[in-house]
Amino acid sequence: MTKDVIIRFVGSAGDGLVSLGDLFGKILKKHNFNVLGFRSYQSVIRGGYNEYQIRASTDEVLSVGENADIIVLLNKHVAEIHKVRVNSGNKVIYDNDYIDLDELEYPENIIKLPIPLASITKDISKLKVLKNIVGFGAISYILGLDEELVKEVIFEQFGDKGEEIVSTNYEALEKGYAYANENNWPVKWEKHKYGKAQQMIISGNEALALGMLSAGLKFYSGYPMTPATSIVHYLTRYLPKLGMIVKQTEDEIAAVGMAIGAAYCGARAATGTSGGGFSLMTELIGMAGIEEIPLVVINSQRAGPSTGMATKTEQADLFQVYGASQGEFPKVILAPSSIVEAFKVGIEAIEIAEKYQIVVIILMDLYLSEQIATVRKLDLERKNKRFGILKNPDENFTRYRITESGVSDRTLPGTKNGMFFTGSSERNERGTSIASTLAGLPETLPIRIEMVKKRMRKLDLILKEVEEPSVFGEEDSSITLVSWGSTKYIVREAINLLKDEGISAKQLHIKTINPFHTSQVRKILDDSKEILCIEQNYTGQMNDFIRMKTGFDIKHSFRRWDGEPIVPSQIIAKVKEVLNIE
Amino acid sequence: MSNEFNFSLKDYESNFKPTWCPGCGNFSQWRAIRQALVELELTPEEVVLVSGIGCSSHMPNFLKVYGLQTVHGRGIPVATGIRLANPDLTVLVYGGDGDIYGIGGNHFLHACRRNVDIITIVSNNFVYGLTTGQASATTPVGTITKTTPRGSIENPLNPITVAISAGATFVARGFSGDLQHLSYVIKEAIAHRGFAFVDVFSPCITFNKNQTFNYFREKVYKVEDTDHDKEDIYSALDLSNQRFIKDDLPIGIFYQIENKTTYEERDFTLNQGVIPAKAPLDLSKEQIDIITKEFY
Repeated sequence: MTKDVIIRFVGSAGDGLVSLGDLFGKILKKHNFNVLGFRSYQSVIRGGYNEYQIRASTDEVLSVGENADIIVLLNKHVAEIHKVRVNSGNKVIYDNDYIDLDELEYPENIIKLPIPLASITKDISKLKVLKNIVGFGAISYILGLDEELVKEVIFEQFGDKGEEIVSTNYEALEKGYAYANENNWPVKWEKHKYGKAQQMIISGNEALALGMLSAGLKFYSGYPMTPATSIVHYLTRYLPKLGMIVKQTEDEIAAVGMAIGAAYCGARAATGTSGGGFSLMTELIGMAGIEEIPLVVINSQRAGPSTGMATKTEQADLFQVYGASQGEFPKVILAPSSIVEAFKVGIEAIEIAEKYQIVVIILMDLYLSEQIATVRKLDLERKNKRFGILKNPDENFTRYRITESGVSDRTLPGTKNGMFFTGSSERNERGTSIASTLAGLPETLPIRIEMVKKRMRKLDLILKEVEEPSVFGEEDSSITLVSWGSTKYIVREAINLLKDEGISAKQLHIKTINPFHTSQVRKILDDSKEILCIEQNYTGQMNDFIRMKTGFDIKHSFRRWDGEPIVPSQIIAKVKEVLNIE
Repeated sequence: MSNEFNFSLKDYESNFKPTWCPGCGNFSQWRAIRQALVELELTPEEVVLVSGIGCSSHMPNFLKVYGLQTVHGRGIPVATGIRLANPDLTVLVYGGDGDIYGIGGNHFLHACRRNVDIITIVSNNFVYGLTTGQASATTPVGTITKTTPRGSIENPLNPITVAISAGATFVARGFSGDLQHLSYVIKEAIAHRGFAFVDVFSPCITFNKNQTFNYFREKVYKVEDTDHDKEDIYSALDLSNQRFIKDDLPIGIFYQIENKTTYEERDFTLNQGVIPAKAPLDLSKEQIDIITKEFY
């Protein structure tokens, strides 16, 4: 039988919510649960109202879920705000040293589970954060978790901080567990033997970083911007051991500039940011395009425009990246849909960039970048091949030779006889600019025509190599749900729930945005009954994009732009509305 | 560097002839750079010249080294990426006052403090030339240009003072009208360990009727002919402010310190002798264990 639980920690910045959520995720992973966690937070360093919701299941976890089974309130301020979010039957754990739910007029139909976290903690140590571990003990009791396994995780986490820290943590855990037991807290699951999991628990950004590393990443530059910064944090941690460069720059222009410089000399290079920083990078992205320098740029979208809502999610940069930089040049745009796919796209992007000497943009979003989940062990071992690099060119080396594939051999600085000029202006095959004294001369017109075609036709080959749009569900379903990027598995969960209600829905999911599988998408849409396009923006960018590419106008849409991830119940409601089902 | 170095100025010349106005100050820099490379016995393949946009930024077109022209103002970050990815290369940035002091000013500041071992040469003509004569960051107050028909009302930037204050470890100035001295300054800049900066008085014969060759010839004097102590930052700053006090203009090496560690020497990867550009990373089993431990 499936076990499924949603736990929501509610606190303020400074309550240690992140480490608390990560640690509890590890505890659940240790018990062989599949886990997905997501933090909803604000742009403040101390205070405010934050949630860290974790869903654990013996089945696949597709979304972080909606109605929490267990809610943990960490302070009075957030308890007051959270009142409107509780539902009948919720088990609400709270520190009754500080919080009085009756005084806050919480509804009667919830299960109140007071525990004097502060007093219990005070008896053990001066460390206030220990109260979170006391709380873990109490939750472990409800979930029937194995105390020894929980201790293992605590040891792994705090082992290097010394015996005393470990033993106080153990004591805190035991006291929490005992308190719940003594006070006859309701048990959700009976205690049983859990298998030990070999899974990883990892965030979208970390998986993306691992993918790029696996594909040979040697240079990463960035300027701090939520939600892309954690890529730099992760890579920097292991720097000397990886033999790579991670560079924090003065701005995003320098970040992309340095990545381009490194890539030009042969280092596999990437840079990452969010929409605002991407705006600054745009001009140099075009330069990498015309100079045919391999470049990977990550844009983890957040709610815009401008500073928008810095800690909230959105999918509204589709046209920004599609149209990035003036003029026309080929760019590959990939939007991973899950943590595992972020890893795969990391590999794919680095490789395509070098193989085709092209700009690859990875379109993430805050929801995917920051969610954590259990995944099967990611295979990082690879023998990385080099593409298109001449080691011993002869004296007639021609950097931008017109070829059938559009890709020309390149040389790296330092290579004898390999010297060439490249610039941001249009050029002839040797690299010489045709934009100044040669511009407009009759003999340069065909050169310009051929150079543009050479660059653009790389996309024809790439289209055959990248993943086609995927279809999930029964072919003759009454409705087709169109999604892209991080909403894939939220939609998947909605489809599963609809099926339970006897409503058949299938999913058309788009990961490769450019080049676009026009005919495949058109065919799937032509073969569909009702169609609903689901996305995290106001204007329906994918809806417009599909119409632009295929000529097909999708009639129905569900859009969310309040900054929080779409949830399955919203999709289900919309599907019923479209299908006229009560 | 080969044992038998037999390259001449001609070997660094591309087959694209310079397109600057006849008499432009950039011509002597084109020659001075080549002369410095020959004297330092740097072969064409180990040199990368990066530029931005503007008349002077056309330079890499006319040289047979690895040449990369970026967009306006972005030569420095691209060159920094090149140097960090392959510290075996000699990396020069070349651009104008509009390119490096104007639109690229932020990168210039950070390159000074970062002390990456690259060389930045600025052809300073006090005007935007390629866009046909507008005021730049170094245009003196009162100058009439197309965008300042009533005279410029902004104070100009003093690039030498800025570079010294921002932490550059080699700060010099040359003059396009004195090729041998210019070549000497550029040579010293390339040989310097750390970020080296050379501002070059380089008259624009078409759009600047004020800072002309004759104007400079009357005013410049060589720092090397004085008892200036280039290792003394206070003397260097004093000297850099002289043109605002007296009506003569020092050229030469204002400031140079050798004892400051470079970025490359401080970087935890590069100081192990790693050259990131050489090969893609192939993670070893041990590396994989280290970088994934936190996920279990």
